Order: sequence, then C-alpha cells, then structure tokens
Amino acid sequence: MKTMPHKCTKCGREYKDGSTEILRGCASCGGKKFLYVKEEEINKDVLEEKSIEEIADESKEEVLEVVEQPTTAKKEVEMYDRVETIRIVSPGSYELNLEKMAKTDERIVSVGKEGSYIIDLMSMAKDEPKKKGKKK
Amino acid sequence: MKIFLQTFGTAKKKFSNFLNSFFKKKRTRIGIYGPPNAGKTTLANRIARDWTGDAVGPVSEIPHETRRARKKEDIIISGANGSTVTMDIVDTPGVTTKIDYHEFLEFGMEKDEAIIRSREATEGVAEAMHWLREDIDGVIYMLDSTLDPFMQVNIMMIGIIESRNLPVIIVANKIDLPDATPARIRSAFPQHPVVAISGLEGRNVEDLYETMIEYFG
Repeated sequence: MKTMPHKCTKCGREYKDGSTEILRGCASCGGKKFLYVKEEEINKDVLEEKSIEEIADESKEEVLEVVEQPTTAKKEVEMYDRVETIRIVSPGSYELNLEKMAKTDERIVSVGKEGSYIIDLMSMAKDEPKKKGKKK
Repeated sequence: MKIFLQTFGTAKKKFSNFLNSFFKKKRTRIGIYGPPNAGKTTLANRIARDWTGDAVGPVSEIPHETRRARKKEDIIISGANGSTVTMDIVDTPGVTTKIDYHEFLEFGMEKDEAIIRSREATEGVAEAMHWLREDIDGVIYMLDSTLDPFMQVNIMMIGIIESRNLPVIIVANKIDLPDATPARIRSAFPQHPVVAISGLEGRNVEDLYETMIEYFG
C-alpha cells in the first residue's frame, strides 16, 4: 500500500502517514492544515516553486484540518437533550422542558446548577391511565 | 326558589350525564393554547358568553392569570349553513419555557405572592401539557399579533401539536391594536388556517366559529 505523507500547508514540513504528531498542529509553525501528498510528488512544491496551498488546489486532494477541542467554551445543552422536566433556577424561577412534558407525566426536577436532580418516583409508578368513559 | 333551581340544575346535569353514558355522544374537546397574555381566557369567555351566556374565568394583564386549566362543557356552536358542533372548551395556562417571579414584581406584586404565582404557573404549564397528551381533540393556538410569532415556544408547541396529529386553528388575536400584523403570523404558519380576530372587541369571531365548525366538526 502506498503511503501518503502529510505536508503542512503553511511551512511545508513533512509528516509520516498516520502521524499523530500533527494532531497538536505543525511542530515548526503551529499550522493546523495538512495536505496529503503522493510519495513521488513530495518535493513538487519545492521543484515547481509553489506553495502547498496551490498544490492543494491543483491536486483536489482533501486538506486535513486539525480542529482543537474547545475546552473553555461550555456547550449549551439543548432543551430536548435534558433529562429534567423542570429546572428550579432559584425559588420562584423555573425553566420548563415542554418537549419532555408533552411526552410524559414523569417529573424529574433539577435544582440549581446542572447535575443535581430530584426524581418524583410516584409520577413514574402511576398506572397507565384508564380508558376514558369506562366506569365501574 | 334559588335552592330549588340549584337542585334542579344538579338533577338536570345528572340526568344528562346519565343519558350521555347511554348514547356516548362524541364531544370534541378543544384546547385553547398559546403563550401567556395572548388572550386565551378572553376568547374562552367570549365563546362561552356567545353560546351559553356564562364566563370561563378572570382576565388580567399580568401574565399567568390562568394557572389551572378551566373547562366549559357542551358549547354548541352553529354555523351560517345550519351545521352545529358540540364541544368542550378548555382554557389552558399560558405555555412558556421560563417562569420567573421577578416578572410579576414589575406589576407591583409582593415578592411572596409573586413566588407563589410562579410556582402555580409552573404547575399550570405541566397540567396544560398533560391535557394535550390525553384529553384534547383539537387546538386553537392563540397568538398576539403585535408580537413576533417566531418565538421558540410557538415553533415548539406547533411542532408538538402536529406530531400528535391534532387539528389546529391559529388565531391571530388583538387586531384591535394599531401595531397588529396578522399577516406575519400567516406567513409564519402557512400549513395551518389562521384567523385574525379581536377577542376583546369580538371583531371577526364569526369567522373563527365558521373555521371551528369546518375543522373540528
């Protein structure tokens, strides 16, 4: 199997195929974009005096972009991904999960910051509602 | 005399329940849903007054005046062509995703009272959603036509109602106000019938009744 080395699109530094180094960005310039180049064309950029970006345009090869994991930005949890039906932000302030309420009568209440819940077991243990109009 | 009438009333109701249990008359139960202060209770009162002479509940400019679902049974609405529909109207608490007691303080309410109101309103929303799951055959979704119809809660609620395959009529209310733009609501929900009314003045409610007969009959 042919190997396809990577080249940093910014400075042209070469990396072996499958190198995990590039996940932290280019060791020389800190570039985040890498191009797969054919083994035989590894020096094409130098020989033809082109930038890696120009070669990327010519070869139509996909440019690999290393995406940094955002660690500081806290992702907003979508309403429907939440486990609770009601969140008590503070006494008298509530956030209601309508999608959840539309599906079930089960009540899970979260208190304050994410991660603290009150589960109403009674609401989950209730029998299925009896058929309407059925009287004994 | 009053006592006699009351007794007679109770007896009449019992008798009609008794008859209903035999004939199982299919009644359509219509829920009036929408965000707080859209005019749900005003419309419910108008429908009840127009067809039965009674009222459903008190109205206020402070949001979440209605905190329990209120039902008015056996409303018979008749259309221009003589067709009639018997329905129960359920006026529900305003549906919203956030309830904060600070909002009530602006209306001059005391803190304790505002917190209680907020708690009751939260229970009210849960109750409204419960009704929607089990007991409602059709929905009148009320919107204030002076406000942006693309609020997240409206999109979410219409989605929920659609997923339950319930017939829905969207009411663009408050057309008596100068900055009302019911056309905006029409373009927001082109998949549903939209009727522009003033629940307060009663403008165009006949149109709504005709649409109700058509969609809920």
